[in-house]
Amino acid sequence: MSRKMISLENVTRVYNQGRPNEVRPVNEVSLDIGHGEILVLKGPSGSGKTSLLALVGCMIRPTSGRILVAERDVAKLPERFLTGVRRDTFGFVFQQLHLIPGISVLENVMLPLYPLEIGFTAAKRRALELTEQLGLTHRKGFKVEALSGGERQRVAIARALINAPQAILADEPTAHLDAGLSGELMQIFETLRGQGKTVVIATHDPLVHDSPLIDRVATMRDGRILDGDG
Amino acid sequence: MGSYHLGRHLKILEFALSSMLRRRTKNLGLVLVFAALVFLLSSIVFLTGALRTEALATLEASPQLLVQRAMAGRHALIPLGYGELIARLPGVGSVTPRYWGYYYDIYTGANYTLLGIGDQGLESPGSTPLRLVEGSFIMPGQRRVCLIGEGVAEVRGTRIGGMVSLRDARGWMQEYEVIGLFASPSRLLTNDLILLPEADLKAHFGMPDDRATDLMVEVYNPHEVDNISRKILERLPDARPISHAEIQRTYETLFNWRGGLLLAMFLGAMAAFMILAWDKATGLSADERREIGILKAIGWETSDILELKLWEGAALALVAFLAGVTAGYAHVQRFGAELLMPVLEGWSTLFPAIDLAPRIDPYALGVLFSLTVVPYIVATVVPSWKAAITDPDRVMRAS
Repeated sequence: MSRKMISLENVTRVYNQGRPNEVRPVNEVSLDIGHGEILVLKGPSGSGKTSLLALVGCMIRPTSGRILVAERDVAKLPERFLTGVRRDTFGFVFQQLHLIPGISVLENVMLPLYPLEIGFTAAKRRALELTEQLGLTHRKGFKVEALSGGERQRVAIARALINAPQAILADEPTAHLDAGLSGELMQIFETLRGQGKTVVIATHDPLVHDSPLIDRVATMRDGRILDGDG
Repeated sequence: MGSYHLGRHLKILEFALSSMLRRRTKNLGLVLVFAALVFLLSSIVFLTGALRTEALATLEASPQLLVQRAMAGRHALIPLGYGELIARLPGVGSVTPRYWGYYYDIYTGANYTLLGIGDQGLESPGSTPLRLVEGSFIMPGQRRVCLIGEGVAEVRGTRIGGMVSLRDARGWMQEYEVIGLFASPSRLLTNDLILLPEADLKAHFGMPDDRATDLMVEVYNPHEVDNISRKILERLPDARPISHAEIQRTYETLFNWRGGLLLAMFLGAMAAFMILAWDKATGLSADERREIGILKAIGWETSDILELKLWEGAALALVAFLAGVTAGYAHVQRFGAELLMPVLEGWSTLFPAIDLAPRIDPYALGVLFSLTVVPYIVATVVPSWKAAITDPDRVMRAS
């Protein structure tokens, strides 16, 4: 593995702690993720993949343990700084994509830049570059609900890349794609790795975790990474 | 750097406006409800202001000291000899008898005030706030003529050259030619007014020659009015001196009572607005929550989301406020506050229809603004803040 970009040390996340309905979607997980690596978190539904991805992406804080991003412990950072780390380091591709309906492809892609101190023209230029790279130029003015599933997936990826993040976190990215589109998506991830970006994918799709493009697979069950995978 | 910073706000504003357009049906509904409430509230504010203006204008026309005669607790005609006695009191400038009375018109269901004009003040009635808008004033010695207010002209359907028929004290119909139309700063004061030559008026009501309805007393030093009132009462125990200040209190009571009813409506409308704001505060749609989660997840800070919601709330509230205030002004100015007039129903039998000029009171509008726009924006921002401080990972789990 290349040098570490993200490290999780004995990370546990507990919901409803101390109550009868207490759950531990992530339990004592230690995991290192390297720069420019494509890592797959594999496991059945409810195994804790999405929660682990949310922890890695600083969307939630661990109940215990440490999360190091570029050797900086982010677990106890105040919300404002955590948002900064999330914004500057990660790009998210959600399972449901979560594009904003009613606005154009270009606006959806630009959305992460709106609250930043970057001019509208520069933001638009960057969004146009990404839509071109992902083959969406002819759709840039379309509202996202008018696009096909594969095109929407690419819009979500363009939006994830607009901040030039170091890592892309994708949750079940092929859940709504057929085999052909899933293959295309893997090629996109391969290209991103070629650009030096880290890609972490949570999935139970064999087309993804058995793909030869994957560097490493970590298998999860009951909130833990099985021995030897971390 | 500065322009970048401004650009950041402009981008968020642009997104706020586009978000509002995306939810145009919901937002249009909110604007309509909000504007309707502001319309009602501002109508009340404008109408109350108009009533106060009327009160002030009416007060300006009232004499410094008015002396009536009371008999068995009721207003009775006053002997002209009282006037001669009062005129001899030190500090009294002049005493002018007034001849007037009420006339109920059975055909139109309206009450008119008939006021007699003596030969002295006919050509230049500068002592009254009346303004001739058409025709001429009554000339000395002229008989069987009248001047009417615009309200009477409207109700009677008559103009210059027309005739006004009034049944006199003996039950005979008397006809008076309309020779002039007048207006005054107060429509309440003159809307129902008919001016007749003094002799005609006395004949009409069958008033004895040595009596008047009341006496207007001019006092040299306004601070002496109470003193002179006391002296009048000492000499004429059945007289009833009414000072300008007392008239002012009477009008204040009258208008405050009307204002009180309007205030009750105002409070009702405010309560309705608070319910709307509370509903907004407690109800953030699933779509809005989801969108806030997405924005958080893609790197928006809580403060960015608050700014977005602030722009949205402010834009909606300002549009609704301006629409409501404009409609409220038009309602009072153009349509005579028709929706609120049932509150003033008592006057509609006393007066022909009245047109009120709304008065824009910046202070009242400021209060209205702070009671509607500000709470609405707060009500918009608070639930968004609550949604924005929750973990953005919820969006990852939402289907």
